[in-house]
Parts: sequence; C-alpha cells; structure tokens
Amino acid sequence: MTSERKFIVPIGPQHPALKEPGHFEFTVDGEIVTDASVRLGYVHRGIEKGAEERSYIQDLYLFERICGICSHVHATAFALGVERLAGVEAPLRAQAIRSLVAEMERIHSHMLWLGVAAHEGGFDTLFMYSWRDREIVMDLLEAFTGNRVNYSVNLLGGVKCDVNESLRDQILRGMDQLEKRIQHYLNVVTTDRTFLARTEGVGRMTREQADLFGAVGPTARASGVPRDVRVDAPYAYYSTVPVRLITDERGDLLARFVVRINELFEAIRVIREILDHLPEGELTARMPRRIPAGETISRVEAPRGELFYFVKSNGGEKPERVKVRTPSLCNWGSVMQVAVGHKLADMPMILAGIDPCFSCNDRMVQLKRKDSQQWMSWEDLRQYGIEYYKKVL
Amino acid sequence: MFKGLLTTLKEWAGKPVTIQYPEEKRPVRTRFKGRHVLKRYENGLEKCIGCSLCAAACPADAIFVEAAENTDEERYSPGERYARVYEINMLRCIFCGFCEDACPTEAIVLGDNYELSFTDRHQSIYTKEMLLEPVPEGGKPTPQQTPPGVYVRAVPAMQDPQD
Ligand code: SF4
Ligand code: SF4
Repeated sequence: MTSERKFIVPIGPQHPALKEPGHFEFTVDGEIVTDASVRLGYVHRGIEKGAEERSYIQDLYLFERICGICSHVHATAFALGVERLAGVEAPLRAQAIRSLVAEMERIHSHMLWLGVAAHEGGFDTLFMYSWRDREIVMDLLEAFTGNRVNYSVNLLGGVKCDVNESLRDQILRGMDQLEKRIQHYLNVVTTDRTFLARTEGVGRMTREQADLFGAVGPTARASGVPRDVRVDAPYAYYSTVPVRLITDERGDLLARFVVRINELFEAIRVIREILDHLPEGELTARMPRRIPAGETISRVEAPRGELFYFVKSNGGEKPERVKVRTPSLCNWGSVMQVAVGHKLADMPMILAGIDPCFSCNDRMVQLKRKDSQQWMSWEDLRQYGIEYYKKVL
Repeated sequence: MFKGLLTTLKEWAGKPVTIQYPEEKRPVRTRFKGRHVLKRYENGLEKCIGCSLCAAACPADAIFVEAAENTDEERYSPGERYARVYEINMLRCIFCGFCEDACPTEAIVLGDNYELSFTDRHQSIYTKEMLLEPVPEGGKPTPQQTPPGVYVRAVPAMQDPQD
C-alpha cells in the first residue's frame, strides 16, 4: 500500500557528495528513492558577463578559473575558438604541449575522482592511496607550468611553457610509477568484494537512456555510447596522436570506474607518444590584438566530457559574448533519472559517479516563471555588492 | 585477508608521505607562481618605473600603481618616473603571472612564497614596502642621490629582446 504523504529528504547545499554546494531533494518511500531533483547555482560567479568587460587575453586567464580541476581544457577551448576567429593556427609544438598538459590534467582529475568516489563508498584506504599517487602528477604539473592547478599554459596563438630534456625524463619516470599503481587500483576496483557490492549493478543507465538524456564523457562511454570529442573531431594534437575510444556496455557504477581507470592508461600512453615525437618549432604564433568580427564554436573533451564554447566577436579587443557549456551540467539529467529506484544510501555513490563539478556547473539558467520576475540591472547588482561588503567589513 | 595485511605491513615499513607542514616545508619548483616580489637593480635602484602596464594587464584588477617623478636628488628608479604607490590585493589576485609578462623592466616577479593569510580584508592589500625585495649587497637604499644624466633610460637595453 502506498501512502499519499510524501517524505522528502533534503540534502545540501552544504556538501552532499563532493565538498561543493548543491541541493538535492529525494522523495523516498521507506528507503527507496522515488523521485529526485537538483537545485544548482550556489556558486554562480558571472564569469561570462565579466568576460565581456575584459580583453581576450585577460579572458583566457579568467576562463581558466571556471574550474580548478579541469582548468586547462577551458583555456584550450577558448583559445581554439579565438584562434579560429582570427584565422591563426598555433604551431605544432604548441598544439602538442596543449594535448600533453590536457592528458596530464585528465590523469589528475580521474585520480581525484577515484579517491572521492571511493570515499563516498566508504573505502577510505583507496581514497588515501589514490590521492597520494595523484601527487606524482601534481608535482609534474607544478614543475611543468608553475602551478598545481590553473596552470596558465595557454596563450592565444600558442603556449607559454616548453618541455626540456630533464622535464621530459621526469614526466616519463612519473608515468612509469603511475602505471604500476593504476594497474593495482584496477585490480582492487574489479575484485574487492565489498566494493563490488556497492558498485555492481548500481545506478545502471542503458545506452538508450544515455542517448536520451544527452550524457557526455566517461558517464556516456560507460553506457556504451561511443562519444569522445578527441576521436570525433580531433583538435590540438589528437589528429597526429589518436586516442582509443574506451567504452563499456554495462552502464553501472562499476563500468564508470573501469572506463575512467582505463582512460588513465590511455592518457599515459598518449603522453608517452607525444613526448617521443615532440615536434620542434616555435611556441607561439602572432595574434592580432583585435579579433575579426564573427562567431564560432569550439569543443574539447574535458575529463568529465564534452566542453563547449561559443565566442562572438564584434571586431574589437573584447568579446561580445562568450557562452560556456560544461559537461557536468549535461550529466545531471541522466543521474537524476538513474537515481530513482535505488536506496538512499546509494545516492552519494551515484552522485559521485558522474564526477560532478559544481563550480563549472553553475552557469546561468533562466527560469521561466509566470508571476515573479527578479531582474537586476548591472548597475543595481554592483551597488548591491558594494552595500553587501560594506556590511561584512 | 592476508593480501590486505601484506599491504598494511608494506606501508608500515615504508617512509610516510605526509610532511609536518608548519615545521617542515615542501620546496617549490622553479616555475612556481607565488607571492610577487618587486625587484631591484644591483645598485639598489628599483626596477619598477611606475608605468602601470601590469595594472592594465591584470585580469583580476588586483594591482594599483600611482607614479611620481624622479629627480636626481631623490631617485628611486632609472628614468623619469617611479611607483610612489604600488599595491596588490592578494584576495583579488589569481596568480596567473600575466603582470610578470607585461612588465617592460622585469620588475615584478612571482616568487616562491605561498604563505598568504590574513585575518581581515584590509590586510590582504600588500604595499610596496612589503613587496620590494631587500637592497642587495653593495647597493644603496632608495631614494638615492645620483649624478645627473646617468639614469635616463627607463627600460634597460636587453641583449635578447625575444627573451
Ligand atoms: S598574478 Fe595575475 S592576477 Fe595576480 S597581480 Fe599579476 S596579473 Fe594580476
Ligand atoms: S611593475 Fe613593471 S609593469 Fe608594473 S608599473 Fe612597475 S614597471 Fe610598470
């Protein structure tokens, strides 16, 4: 007998699965979730608006700060878009370095996720180990670019940092170490009985569902959807060093683990290949200060899936409009559907399974309501901000 | 279970990977971008000429520069002008390093200090005195008295302008 009354469990906005703000409401019947909804927007920062007030180069740094984990892909996507508008192509060596940093970033992002997801599953040992080994790639990134996150490698028309012999050896050595550890994690994830109980068959998403809800990235690939921008529309250096598509038919949490870990191996292989055949040449091409008028889109494969940029120029020094669509946002729809029918205790794992990233998530969404309209002009908003901080200080 | 115990034993015998932070510090890499330093020439003159290019470049509007005129009696930097006020708001700064690229005299450099913490918003503004590096050995503190006609060139001649 089902009762008329509903019981709603609110989770968040403070730290529902990851340590970032998002609000979820699960309607439960006993332990079983019957409906799920999500509310985002707690860390909306107005970056797209801010970009309209700054020059293209300043925007490059700004967009890099959309996400602390996958910052390089944002800068790459923006740089690719602006370069296309200007009709400039980055030199080959610059493109290779872009891909190289992108793959290193993918390793660090996936290992971070592996740790977080294991933590949500109550497997803290794996969390500690994977984060310890993640330090290897973080250290390499710091040696390479100067920062552990937000690398600022990209410039419009090229890159800033070069690889020399000693750095190359360091990276190769680091990759050897990592490969061994990752093999170990793959064994643990696929054989540990308690862990399998939490992942096998949980949160299963069929291929049809993944297609219907527009899932992207490893989440889609774990449901057998062959979708990867690096393969479908190669950018940077991926046309010279192709990546193998990694998919899994199972579609459950375990598949998402396996796909991501296998992508780590693939990233290591790509890094080795790029380092072995690093083309010689310039690092930057000359960019005009004013970008010719026009519109363009650019797509790159972020660790979480397809990242999409739209850039519109009116021929000046500042972009007229930049629109960013991040992969996490695409994946919410699917996870909210998949959540239905599972136990409440499985929710953190299912949420963490898509590797959600709230800071890149909170793009502006316009809500269409009939009655209330909350509009604020730029001036009002500014004034409000000034007043607010006067009170805080 | 024995396999699990073996892992424990192996890690127990190994060295800990964590470091005791405030006592022990991890060395940073050469390319690390930490707190800014304003550089001086060997004779103690400041490299910064107050041109505000860094402030214009900064994506976060973190830098404020106010320039004033140099005279030979009171000289802070080569050339006509120097930075009378130079402030960086460390709460705004995103440590991108663009100011370093923009500076014509290589006066501002991102150093290796990452210990930036404050208890109040006003403390986050680092003034010129805090940012300026100490006078190198053999140099004199600014303002210096200099012979006329020597320090007329604000931007030093560089061997390799591509650098
Ligand atoms: S590092 Fe970047 S954000 Fe910080 S002061 Fe320099 S230009 Fe501005
Ligand atoms: S630090 Fe460099 S760019 Fe900034 S005002 Fe001084 S000389 Fe100009």
